[in-house]
Formats: sequence, C-alpha cells, structure tokens
Amino acid sequence: MAKSFHLTVAKVGENLFEGEVISATLPGSEGMFQILAEHEAFVSQLKPGEVRIVDAAGGTYHFHIPQGGIAEVSSHQATVLL
Amino acid sequence: MALKDIKTKIKATERTHKVTRAMEAVSAVKMRKTQQSALAGRPYARAALSILARLSGSSDVTRHPLASVRKIEKIALVILTSDKGLAGALNSGVIKAAVEAVAPYETAAVTVYAYGKKGEDFFARRGYRVARAFENKKDIVELRVMEELSEELSREFVSEAYDEVLVAYSNFKSTFEQAPTVRHLLPLTQADVEQLVKDIVPVKGKWSELKPIESPAAYTIEPGDADVLGYLVPRLVSVSLYHLLLEAKASEHSARMVAMKNASDKSKEVAHDLTRLFNKIRQAGITREVSEIVSGREALAT
Repeated sequence: MAKSFHLTVAKVGENLFEGEVISATLPGSEGMFQILAEHEAFVSQLKPGEVRIVDAAGGTYHFHIPQGGIAEVSSHQATVLL
Repeated sequence: MALKDIKTKIKATERTHKVTRAMEAVSAVKMRKTQQSALAGRPYARAALSILARLSGSSDVTRHPLASVRKIEKIALVILTSDKGLAGALNSGVIKAAVEAVAPYETAAVTVYAYGKKGEDFFARRGYRVARAFENKKDIVELRVMEELSEELSREFVSEAYDEVLVAYSNFKSTFEQAPTVRHLLPLTQADVEQLVKDIVPVKGKWSELKPIESPAAYTIEPGDADVLGYLVPRLVSVSLYHLLLEAKASEHSARMVAMKNASDKSKEVAHDLTRLFNKIRQAGITREVSEIVSGREALAT
C-alpha cells in the first residue's frame, strides 16, 4: 500500500478537494510533475492545464485549471491554490 | 384616548411586529450563508500566508512594489458599508472609525472607494473625492469585482498616486459582536496579513479553533522567488480585500438580525401594554355604565 498525504485544492471561497491522496500530478511552470508522500518541501507556480489526483481509496479526480495557480508541498501535506 | 384609537394602534404595532420578525428571519438565513462563505475561504488565505511567511525569509518580499513603505502623503480609503439601514449601529460605527482614520489628512489627500451606499453618501456629502462607488446589493459577493478593485488600487499604489491604502469595515466576531475596524491593505506587510488571518476566526462557534500553520524551514522554489512572489502578492491583496468584504457582509446581516430582533421584542411589549390599557378603559366604561343604571334605578325607586 502506497503512502498517502493530505491534499487541499482550494479556490478563493471554495474548497475543490480535500482529503488523503496517494499522488497528485500538476502542471508546473517548468513542466508537469507528480507529488507522492514525503516529497521535499517545495513551492511551484502552476500554468493552465490538467490536475490529476489519485486518492487513498484508488479513485481518480481530474480538474482543469484554466488560470494556473500555485502549489505548496510540505512534509505531510500539499496545498494547491487556484 | 378613545377605545377605537387604541385598537388602531394595537393593530399597527402588530403589523410592525410581523414585518420586523420577517426581516429578522431573512437576515438570519443570510447571516448563516455569509458566515459560511467568510469561513470557506480560510484554507486559501492560510495557505497563501504560510507560503508568503516562508518566502519572506528572503528579502524579496519587502522589495516587492506592493510592499514598499513610503512617506504617507496621499491615501486611499476603501469603505465597506451596507446599502440599507436598519442594522443598528453598524454603519455609523464603520463611518466613525473611517473618519478617525483619515482625520490626520486633508480632504484633498484622501480618495474614497465606497462599497455600499451609506459610506458613499457620507463621504460624498463632505466633499471627499469618491473615485469608485459600488452598490452593495447582492448577497453573493463576486470575487471578480474585488479583483478589479484591488488591481486598480495596486496600480495606483505602484504609480505612487497613493502612499497607503486603508480599508474601513466591520469585523465579524460573533453574531452579537461586530467591531468597526480600519486595516492597512497596502503596503503589504506580513504582520497585517497574519493579523487578518487571525481575525477571520470568530470568537465562538464551530469555526473558532485555529490550528497553527505548519511549514518547513525552507522551500525549493520553482521557477524562482521573483515569479512566485509576483503571482502570490497581488493575489494576496485581492484575497485580503475579498475577505474583508465577506466579513463586512456577515457583520451587516448579523447586526440587522439583532436589530430586528430587538424591534420585534419591543413591538410585542408595546402591543401588550396597549392591550392592557385597552382593557382597562373598556372596563372603566362598563363600570361607569353599570353604576349609572343602578343609580338611575335607585332614583326611580324612591
């Protein structure tokens, strides 16, 4: 069983996603990247594109982010701000 | 007072009671909605803050154009009030706080951005320049409007048309307590943002626990500090402004609900007193008539 971490995807005034996930694939300004548990602490700007999330139960989620955003990854949690 | 007059008065008071009770119920629903939306944005603000707090380790934050501190000569005042009255001391409190905040400056040095008619009317009447005025009609606050406003303010701030941007609004603490508050929006300082995020949390209720923001000591930043800050700082300004507006809305509806509740209670009391008076006068009339009849009979008997 892969390790999970806590992910929040938030837009101003609205939480799009919150929960335990296995992985999240994000469109970074320097190219697509994937975050797994225990990723190094890191901040990246996101460009418009697709966000793909696999949650702890194995379900997958897709978001399209038309305006990009910013992603913050720290020890056991990650936050995506759109 | 004639019996008929009292009856009319009782009816009128009861009608008022119905109106204020309906307004109370409407405000209660709106209050819940606005409180919820005020709190739904909390994760965003806190995450944005925590990123900013970490990045501010580098001196780039203070070098950002929106964070530059200058000698204050010209200021912009954003005043968030309601369009309508009947909300107790809410608007007068905010206006009073705003007047105190701009008191050290001359009228010509102050530019007013009014969101809500009450604030606009007040400052326009006193000869202040009102640059933009918005109606505060809708209950759903549009982020777009606030982004527009914050872009305009940021642009003017960077071009040094204003040296400081203040926001006067009513801070929502709980349903019964709203504090008129004046905050610095620009230049952006970390202390201001931290204070803002702290104040988002109401005094009581299920939202009142605040977990500390956990952040690691250092981040790898991609593509670079300057780019991330360039994106984050303007967003933070508009998010702050948006939050203040949500707070103002929650305060407005709470204050109105409480004011209407007081009015309902009072009208009930007045109706009760009037009914007492009505019964007393009616009984006095009956007693008088009875005694007249009795004394008339006595007179006939003798």
